[in-house]
Amino acid sequence: MHFLRYTVRKILYGIPLILGVTFISFLLMVYFGPEQTYTLLGKNPTPEDLENIRRQLGYDLPFITRYAQYLQEIFTFDFGYSASSNERVLDILARTVPVSIMVSIPGFLLGNGVGICLALCAAHFRGLWPDKLIMFFSVFGMSVSLLIVIIGFQMIFCSSYGLNWFPVQGWDVDSFFDYLKYVTVPTMATSFVAIGYNTRFFRSVLVEEIDSDHVRTMKAFGIHPLIIIIVHVLQNNLIPILTRMIFTIPYILIGGSILIESFFAIPGVGGVTYDAISSGDLPIMKAVISIYTLLYVGVLIATDLVYRLVDPRVELG
Amino acid sequence: MGKQGDTRNTAQTLSRTTPIESLWSLSLKKFCTDKIGIASLFVVLVYSLIALGVSLGLWANEWDELLNEQGYGPISWDYWLGTNFNGQDIFQRAVYSTLTAFKVGLVVSLCSLWLGVCLGSVAGFYSNTWLDELIIWLYGCLDSIPFYLFVAAVSFALKESDIAMYVSMIGVLWTSSCKVVRGQVIKLKSLEFVEAARAIGVKDHKIIVRHIMPNLAPLILIEFSLSFVTAIKTEAILSFLGLGVRDGISWGVMLSEASAEVVAGRYHNFIAASVFMFGLVMAFNQLSDALQDALDPKKVVQR
Repeated sequence: MHFLRYTVRKILYGIPLILGVTFISFLLMVYFGPEQTYTLLGKNPTPEDLENIRRQLGYDLPFITRYAQYLQEIFTFDFGYSASSNERVLDILARTVPVSIMVSIPGFLLGNGVGICLALCAAHFRGLWPDKLIMFFSVFGMSVSLLIVIIGFQMIFCSSYGLNWFPVQGWDVDSFFDYLKYVTVPTMATSFVAIGYNTRFFRSVLVEEIDSDHVRTMKAFGIHPLIIIIVHVLQNNLIPILTRMIFTIPYILIGGSILIESFFAIPGVGGVTYDAISSGDLPIMKAVISIYTLLYVGVLIATDLVYRLVDPRVELG
Repeated sequence: MGKQGDTRNTAQTLSRTTPIESLWSLSLKKFCTDKIGIASLFVVLVYSLIALGVSLGLWANEWDELLNEQGYGPISWDYWLGTNFNGQDIFQRAVYSTLTAFKVGLVVSLCSLWLGVCLGSVAGFYSNTWLDELIIWLYGCLDSIPFYLFVAAVSFALKESDIAMYVSMIGVLWTSSCKVVRGQVIKLKSLEFVEAARAIGVKDHKIIVRHIMPNLAPLILIEFSLSFVTAIKTEAILSFLGLGVRDGISWGVMLSEASAEVVAGRYHNFIAASVFMFGLVMAFNQLSDALQDALDPKKVVQR
């Protein structure tokens, strides 16, 4: 019962957040955004034509009414039709989200998995050469812009001036082999950068735990270091590690893949978003922002609830 | 009550172990022993000299001129890194971009820090009031908008002007320093010197400006180096998306030119821009690490 009340309260906290984001995106894209009046009109419009079109598009309505309409569109998932292809926005999303998930899952697993392993290694050998080496490469990974990594990898692995092992771009997946062919280079690029950031973060979390009294005692009792690290150190720090992993999910599904998908011409949400940004396709941008926000706020609430389940000490305040 | 007792205890132990030397001079000494820190500071200084020279018109004046009529050209004595498809000197463009990077980095990080520190100290000082809630709500909202789309939306609203990139970067980057500052101010405001100031009737805004903000200086220095790097890296991606530098040159613009060229085997543009950019970002990352080590009072005092 207590938990239920806690859940409801957390969900209520999410509402002002969603309202805030919708308000900001409404202000920027609809209220101050580009008017479509002139694109819909022919040459030499009369003032009456102008007036008619503006009324049809709802530009003459008061601010509050227009915002209410905008909210209604978002909560009924009625985003209308793409301005450039006239396809229903929801259909576009339904087609592209699965592709984005498939492209990003290997990178997500590799980036976090390798990151945790390297961080454990660095924390275990704290201050010694393996630690210094790993941290050097982690800063190296953080310092190279994703843009550089993508172009560089494309040059090395995909062009005829490099190794030419993989196709430059495209997404023509029929079998698992095809999948590997198209997903390898994007995955390498994303994990290259992600490992840098993750290793550093995970190490800073783990180092404190490795210094703690109970780990020292276990070492003194002669317990195998691998068991200490995996069973005790990692388990005790599951919360910050999981939080970081969970919070990257909305970013990976929507938005984060803009660069990767546009470079490799992958028909995912990122690619569609890139096209929408460059052609000024507002309905698609509106849909992506709204869904991203809903996901993000959902994740925010879910992590709070998971904390409570994992660690009963978290206050129900 | 228990909390107050704790702070008094830590204050006492601190005053016992703190040497007479100030924390700043201790930090400076520690920084001077850090070879990587010194080297990275040197690299950053070299880059700023390059940028200064460009802004004074000492070098890289011809970055925009079509020098080579054949378009693409090889590395030669006249064109140190060859020429691009327009026949412009790639080396000069890369050098000139240093100025753009510093402009973006300084404007964005200084403005976002100023915003973040002001709002963060207000939120921290009045924690658990409606003002605090309002500021938390504001950065919560900005955090939940996908960044590149936010930039795109701002640029639509500002009719695609050049300021859009600055406005949107500042509008989002202040949140991270605001969070850090807020946490630190909550810690600081329960310390004795703040209580003392309050007891003798110093006004709230004076406590914040005169007593709390000076104690945030190390934190601000670290946050500055972090946001500088973020600004430069973000600019590159925004320029590729067509939302960044519009009339001018930057490493991001060069990289987006290069993205179409590398598969055709022309990589001078790519290598020039990425080496220049990597050098500055790497140096700043190492510098901020060294600063964090040197300015951490726990590490410095224990020595």
